[in-house]
Amino acid sequence: MIRRVLANRRYMREHRWAHGHLSEYVDEELRAADVTRVEAHVGICPHCGRVLATLRRTLDELRWLREEPALGVADSVIDRLRHEP
Amino acid sequence: MRPAPAEPEAALVGRAQDGDRAAFEELVRRHADHLYAVVLRFVADRDAAEEVTQEAFLRAWRSIGRFEGRSRFFTWLYRIGINEAKRRAARQPPAAVVSLDDEPIPEAPDWSQEPETRLRHNDLRRLLENAVRALPIEYRTPLILRDVEGLTTQEAAEVMDLGEAAFKSRLHRARLAVRRALDEYFLEAEE
Repeated sequence: MIRRVLANRRYMREHRWAHGHLSEYVDEELRAADVTRVEAHVGICPHCGRVLATLRRTLDELRWLREEPALGVADSVIDRLRHEP
Repeated sequence: MRPAPAEPEAALVGRAQDGDRAAFEELVRRHADHLYAVVLRFVADRDAAEEVTQEAFLRAWRSIGRFEGRSRFFTWLYRIGINEAKRRAARQPPAAVVSLDDEPIPEAPDWSQEPETRLRHNDLRRLLENAVRALPIEYRTPLILRDVEGLTTQEAAEVMDLGEAAFKSRLHRARLAVRRALDEYFLEAEE
């Protein structure tokens, strides 16, 4: 009983920690030991596994929001600068 | 004949600090498009974004003597641009924003199957645009800089004048909020 309670507490602690570090994991900004820790939890937690997968897809999509270069903006800035005293 | 190599940015900044307007104009040519793209995420439309971009460069030109070179020029410039965009946004009527503070960890729907609709679909783009716009500015900024414009964590944190830990925390919350906004789209696509 006590063992199960402790295991559950450990699981929830790891859940909160891993969930909070999924972005850094995706960005490959975690230390090796922390990468292992995230992967160990994600491997047994369906919720974090889904969040990780959909987070990756969201980031892929966000990159497509990048605007094409706006031709003429530099010229309009320079034009305005030249009219400044 | 190969074109002459571009002048290093630090040299241009140095010349601009000595009052060389041509050097500053070269900096404008290098950065205006990117700055415009960033500020467009904080203002109502393209005209406003162009005005904010102009204003940001004017401020940069007037204060370039105070640029100490501790950060890269473009991070300093982006900071000016974003602050200018925020000032303008503050004068606009408030838009509906979501609070991301102290959010519980949400249950995620299962998106493991590929949706039939391609993700580049206009609906998704609109959904993403709206989700990003709905973020409070302090969360929208890290997302735009890091995930849309592709700055590194260090560069984006520098633009926001935040430590990396604080920056990462805001970025993570912003990403989760946008991810959550896509729930419905993906669930519908799977039906």
